[in-house]
Amino acid sequence: MLKRRTLAAAALAALLLPMAASAADPVPLGAVEVLTGPTAAYGTAAKAGLDLALEAINGKGVLGGRKLSLTVEDSAGTKDGAINAMRKLIGRDKVVALIGPTLSNEMFAAGPVANARGIPTIGTSTTANGITDIGPFIFRTAMPEADVIPVTMRKAAARGAKTIALMYANDDAFSKSGFEVMQKAAATAGLQIVATESFASKDTDFSAQLTKIKALKPDAIGISALVEPVSGVLLQARQLGFGAETQFVGGNGSNSPKLAAIAGAAAEGMLVGSPWFVAKPDAANQAFVAAFQSKYGKAPDQFAAQAYDTLFILAEAIDRAGEADPAKIRDALTKTEHTGALGPFRFGENRSPAATEGVVVLELHDGAFRIAP
Amino acid sequence: MAWFDDLLFTYQNLAVALGVNGLLALSMYVVLAVGQLSLGQAAFMGLGAYSSALMSLQLGWPFWAVLPLSCVVPVLFALAVGGPTLRLNGVYLAIATIGLGEVLRGVYLNVDVLGGAMGLSGIPEAAPLWLIYAMLALAVLVLWQVGKSGIGRAMEAMRLDETAALSMGVNIRRYRLATLCASAVLAGLAGALSAHSTDFIGPNDFGFEPAVTILSFALLGGIGSPFAPVLGAWLLTLLPEVLRPLADVRLVMNGAVIVVAVLFLPRGLLAWRMPRHVRPGRAA
Repeated sequence: MLKRRTLAAAALAALLLPMAASAADPVPLGAVEVLTGPTAAYGTAAKAGLDLALEAINGKGVLGGRKLSLTVEDSAGTKDGAINAMRKLIGRDKVVALIGPTLSNEMFAAGPVANARGIPTIGTSTTANGITDIGPFIFRTAMPEADVIPVTMRKAAARGAKTIALMYANDDAFSKSGFEVMQKAAATAGLQIVATESFASKDTDFSAQLTKIKALKPDAIGISALVEPVSGVLLQARQLGFGAETQFVGGNGSNSPKLAAIAGAAAEGMLVGSPWFVAKPDAANQAFVAAFQSKYGKAPDQFAAQAYDTLFILAEAIDRAGEADPAKIRDALTKTEHTGALGPFRFGENRSPAATEGVVVLELHDGAFRIAP
Repeated sequence: MAWFDDLLFTYQNLAVALGVNGLLALSMYVVLAVGQLSLGQAAFMGLGAYSSALMSLQLGWPFWAVLPLSCVVPVLFALAVGGPTLRLNGVYLAIATIGLGEVLRGVYLNVDVLGGAMGLSGIPEAAPLWLIYAMLALAVLVLWQVGKSGIGRAMEAMRLDETAALSMGVNIRRYRLATLCASAVLAGLAGALSAHSTDFIGPNDFGFEPAVTILSFALLGGIGSPFAPVLGAWLLTLLPEVLRPLADVRLVMNGAVIVVAVLFLPRGLLAWRMPRHVRPGRAA
């Protein structure tokens, strides 16, 4: 009886124990992305970027010829799914570093697991406040709104705006925190805030707020909301007679092709900041866009670009660390510098992007975004 | 025993989810047992989770004090809304209770101390695994005993024919309110245990989608005995993880299994009903 039990335990152990890592084995990495469910578009885009980067990196390998093996697990966009996927990658696949999860809420739930276990984890699309406060092993290459909006505001000021009115949706955390960032950024850029008006995300009538703002004749109007209400505000503003002399400024919510689709000509001239733009002319970005085009037959988006750069940054950190050890990779990440599709990149004190040089201000022109002149 | 630690680490969250979802399935079971399609379980769970998280985070109370108190808020809420909503029946009750859940979600989103859309994080992981399963076992045991008693018979009578039960002297209003409160206690416990084992809660964890998931636990398992809904919850919680190697077709297979189960087992996986003695001298 005892013998049989020992045998069973040994068999189970043999099944679960990975073979002792040798110098030639691939370096195990994991990624948690939303691949199914309503938010799958973000995760699948990120996975495409990761796969493309993996091919390029494994061409020459890391640590003198070792390949990376990347296991991508689906979180289905849920908190539990993200935690389960992350625990599976750490406990079963023995990954030394993680990329993801896709959504900020997933990171808040799953990040503490990886942090407690000492596995460095890099969010590529988690823009919410407080992500890297989870712990010293949590990084992000996603640029928080607090870094993007000030660049947009400076552009508006450089175009000659002196006064600004702010509008925001007060029932949505993303919109509200974006508004707070806009308030600060406008003041720093030297813009005088003449009015602050709020609405609800599902509102369709903004005429009361816009009429009040029109009487104050601001040079610019900043709107922090998701793309549907922003489009509604723009359409009504044009009806009320706001012309090209008023500079409209949006947050990340307006950084969507849906803006032109819904608002049409009313969105003409709106300024939006973005960490990346498909037509950014530098060589690294153009090489990425061309490689993505030839592999997938379509243009990449922001999420693919962020994931693509992140795997390169991680590979460089592994080389810098000298061995596939989570704690050493963590320390190496803080010193890694990389120039990729997003522009020059390194992590700052708080393990978020240090510099905002990669931010481009886009202008909606003839139904499509272009780099603002 | 490093491999065992890794195994435990890998499936710890799954083990927690099995226990918590079992409690939630029982919370659904008690209202379905009297024939009430009340879908407020996710809302009760949210109240338990938020109130317990606040007691831990803001007041710094120990978990053994927090856990029993986490049932208080959901029960008070159940008593307050029970009066008006229990006049409703069928889909009208379902819609009203879903609405209550959405109202609470709006509150979590807009009250600053509740963290808004960012939720609450940094909740201490104070709920040990054994406690979750002890609670589940206790709940099954109590419901089993109640089900075998006269109360259980009255509940079943209400489910099968309310008018007949009324004419036999069953106080339908009182039974409805009592089962709603029992449902609130179970869901509140589940909320507190879950909040204290995953570190983070957010408003969308307790919205419409989880409400429907909890209903599906009980529908898949059946409501013949307290074991049935727990079985349903375990199957639905395990399936996505068991099917993980299937990658892209995982959720398709998950759905297919459920559809097949519902088509061929309309009374649930465990249609077996709990045994009751027929008292001598009475016809069955």
